[in-house]
Amino acid sequence: MILSRLARSGRGGIVLLVLGLLAALVLPWLIYPPVALDIACWALFAAAVDLLLGFTGLLSFGHAAFWGGSAYCTGLIVLHGGMPFPVAIIGGALFAALLALPIGLLSVRLTGIYFAMVTLAFAQMIYFVANQWRDVTGGENGLQGIPREFLGLDLSDPFFFYYAGLPFVLAGLFAAWRIVRSPFGRVLVSIRDNPARARALGYPVERYRLLAFVLSAALAGTAGGVFAIGHGFAALDGLYWTTSGQVVMMVILGGIGTLWGGAIGAAIVVQLQDFLATAGFEGVGIVTGSIFIVIVLLFRRGIWGTARHLLISRRQADPPVSPAAGAAEEPVESPEPAPAPASPHPAGD
Amino acid sequence: MRITGWSGGLAAAGLLLAGCGGGPGGGGGAISDGGVTLAVLNDQSGIYADTSGRSSIEAVKMAVDDYKAKYGDKAVATKIEVTGADHQNKPEIANSKAQELYDRQHADVILDVPTSSAALAVATVAKNKKKVFIDVGAASTELEGKSCNKYTFHYGYNSYMLAHGTGTEVTKAGAKNWYIVYPDYAFGQDMTKTFSAAIKGAGGSVVGSDPTPFPNDNFSTFLLKAPGLDPKPQVLGTMHAGGDLVNLVKQYNEYKLRDKNVTLAIGLLLLSDIHSLGPDALAGTRYTTMWTWNFDEKTRAWADRFQAKLNKRPTANMAANYSAALQYLEAVQRAGTDNADKVVAQLEGQKVEDMFVRNGTIRAQDHLLLHDSYLAEVKGSADVKEPYDYEKVLNTIPAAEAFQPQPDPACKL
Amino acid sequence: MLQQAFNGLVGGSFYALLALGLAVIFGMLGVVNLAHGAFYMLGAFGAFIALDAFGLNFWVALVLVPLLLGVAGAVLERLFVRRLTPLDPLYNFLFTFGLALILQDLVRREYGVNSQPYPRPPELAGTVDLGLFTYPAYQVFVLAVSALMCVAVWVVLTRTRVGMIVRAATERPELTRALGIDVGRWVTPVFGFGIALAAFAGVLAAPMRAVNPLMGADLIITVFAVVVIGGLGSVFGSVAAGFAVGLVSALGNLYVPALSQITVFILMAAVLLWRPAGLFGREEAYR
Repeated sequence: MILSRLARSGRGGIVLLVLGLLAALVLPWLIYPPVALDIACWALFAAAVDLLLGFTGLLSFGHAAFWGGSAYCTGLIVLHGGMPFPVAIIGGALFAALLALPIGLLSVRLTGIYFAMVTLAFAQMIYFVANQWRDVTGGENGLQGIPREFLGLDLSDPFFFYYAGLPFVLAGLFAAWRIVRSPFGRVLVSIRDNPARARALGYPVERYRLLAFVLSAALAGTAGGVFAIGHGFAALDGLYWTTSGQVVMMVILGGIGTLWGGAIGAAIVVQLQDFLATAGFEGVGIVTGSIFIVIVLLFRRGIWGTARHLLISRRQADPPVSPAAGAAEEPVESPEPAPAPASPHPAGD
Repeated sequence: MRITGWSGGLAAAGLLLAGCGGGPGGGGGAISDGGVTLAVLNDQSGIYADTSGRSSIEAVKMAVDDYKAKYGDKAVATKIEVTGADHQNKPEIANSKAQELYDRQHADVILDVPTSSAALAVATVAKNKKKVFIDVGAASTELEGKSCNKYTFHYGYNSYMLAHGTGTEVTKAGAKNWYIVYPDYAFGQDMTKTFSAAIKGAGGSVVGSDPTPFPNDNFSTFLLKAPGLDPKPQVLGTMHAGGDLVNLVKQYNEYKLRDKNVTLAIGLLLLSDIHSLGPDALAGTRYTTMWTWNFDEKTRAWADRFQAKLNKRPTANMAANYSAALQYLEAVQRAGTDNADKVVAQLEGQKVEDMFVRNGTIRAQDHLLLHDSYLAEVKGSADVKEPYDYEKVLNTIPAAEAFQPQPDPACKL
Repeated sequence: MLQQAFNGLVGGSFYALLALGLAVIFGMLGVVNLAHGAFYMLGAFGAFIALDAFGLNFWVALVLVPLLLGVAGAVLERLFVRRLTPLDPLYNFLFTFGLALILQDLVRREYGVNSQPYPRPPELAGTVDLGLFTYPAYQVFVLAVSALMCVAVWVVLTRTRVGMIVRAATERPELTRALGIDVGRWVTPVFGFGIALAAFAGVLAAPMRAVNPLMGADLIITVFAVVVIGGLGSVFGSVAAGFAVGLVSALGNLYVPALSQITVFILMAAVLLWRPAGLFGREEAYR
């Protein structure tokens, strides 16, 4: 009830923002700090993927390349360059963006399922390269022992490091939010909804998609960099295609096109893995696979999307509220994830 | 609403965890936190689940029983708990879980940890937390090389042992020319390097070596190439493992290389691999192993106990986990405490002898367990007398020769 | 060299069969079946179980297993896939991803991760003299059967009315519907048929490859690259690209072993640069 009133008042966004920030700040008090950091990193990673999936209409099944690629780059900068970790994380994010440029150039001309397959294949290629190039990456041993001091501060306690890493995650989330709210973001949404129309209006559709792809990769890279510093290593596993699958799962679990939903998805998936590690149940694949199927079959809006949908429908059902409230709904955050009507044929568009 | 059920369960689990906070106990009492906890952190749901997995937890429990039976009232550790966690082959889960096991479950030692990236990550955690870690499952020599530390031990086997044993012994037995194929990742590259050095050391030569894609299901390119090399190799050495190895051996038989007098030598061959290929596919293949259940009375007695409990024969990894747990508890007994520094002092340089370890020493300089390893051969099905009786030990490689003769200078404890 | 080329073609047969199944399913339903690798794995396991539990030999399994799995595929289409096809194709992609995880894990729980033993059929145990060189009989058989299968599918597609409809729906879905042809009727059997092809490839693989729960997972990504190279909508393209990729990777293994793992992806990137729709795809297939 309180929530629906908040939503009605139009200040819901601010309250939710404060609640979200609060949750982010107290998280390591509630759960085991390294796990809390994982959740934060995956939340940003999920937002990066959602920027592409929910707001540009492109499902990347190869974002592991940017997350893992940046993790390696971040680690290398700290290990060999002796730079403080914030510099390294920014370096990692830039590297991810650079990596995304050629991959994006080749793949943004495709859409829908085609795009997903091509990004998947490219990410797998990066995985093989990292596996073989062991002088740099350490092969399957990974890059180990990445230190994390900063200005003489010892951040080896994961509880403290959480607060050192959090600003990067929050900055990344803020950037994602700014992007979808910007005029650029609106163009992306209109391209998602009807590329032919956007093209007719004179927008260089491919260039917009490419830019979105690169920005998304940079955010994924930021998340991967914090993750690498947080764990003190970068491993091949981060580049493997299951990583891409996992982040997509977080996004659909939270709700495609909600941006913040990914955080909820991340929290659930990371906690679930942590729980399964000691639950004595040997079927991680069965559990994650079932979640995928249940979500896809039964509630495609995801958790956040479903909650918002309920709030909105309640709001619309309530006569005393002025109709303007409906119009105040953020135009960019369209509640229907990547709507189907605009795709008459299978290739996606 | 399956999801709410899950998250409810998770919340409950979270509360439980939060409830048992508190840091590691001081060195005041003999045994901290009310007991000794042994934690087996390994892969219970992925590719290593059958080699070790939950069965190793049972093996560790057997070690606890034996310790209690041996010392009875005199036991220093009266309350011993064994717990396990599944790292799902993800190094980040291994990393977080290791911290949690040490901090919250008061684990005094972590055992097993296959997958080298996970093992190295746990070694770093052990170093930071100043708690004992005995790795059994990973092959990387980096554990006793540049990533070694005061609290980390490497127990059982490593890539040097596997490669050096087979390379030297088979060459000495008369097979001078080798063709090596290896999977193109760190383990395969290391193995090939060590193998080649061993072969040359024993007077043989490597006429060719080729990396193969990983994973790979078509090895015909390499198998066709082998007999045509000049000089013609007598041995095809392969460093593959798991599914790739099975693929390669199936195709080795397709191309009838054995009939063309190119025998097979395998870097890492496990009991389960022989079982899945059938002994005839591998008959006569030579390889190095750290242990085999049908070696002598002592190993058979233990394997029988294990079978009575789990209804299968133990792999070498399970036996190694048993032994590591037992030797840890013995060290606690000698130290009179579970204080990590004192236990480490007891383990360093310790001579070890049990059903798994023969002529063993834990080298003080790099914490590597040196012990006898065995050059073995796969029996033909005519010689197989009971299920899983596939391995015949040809000769024992003495502890001094089986592992790196000198500690890696990169290791600074 | 010739022998190596032959080799590549044998490896390519698996790509071709899998890509063919993917292509007809995609064409008919617009679904990219991520569980295709899992069904390949189930095919191999089906052969293993048939022999192990029921004593049915390779030849029986080669017919029976694809049939059974084909029916299972059809049921799957009826129960689940159908509900998602009107939506964005991404949902079916994700659905089949979840399905693949579950199938793999179920098999793993039952049989473990180690490979299961499967012998070669005794009839094909020997070698064949191909004039220029001798070659394992079983591999020759695999190549011949896959090629036959591809040709048979091609004949059905081009010479029969059913085939015409399927092909039309595959290559020009909008136009076919616009012409008032009832495509819906053929959706379920075609899905089942695609799955059966994957299972067929799996049974063929059992005697020469490691039969374990993960055998399809990595293969499927290469098959994706194959399909992209051939052109997603094109039945002929998938088959041709399958054999071509097999050939190229075998030669890649021989001449540039360091790049062998990524040859297929480099090939894919090159094709995308040159013809974004794939070698045999039509421009409309992408936009």
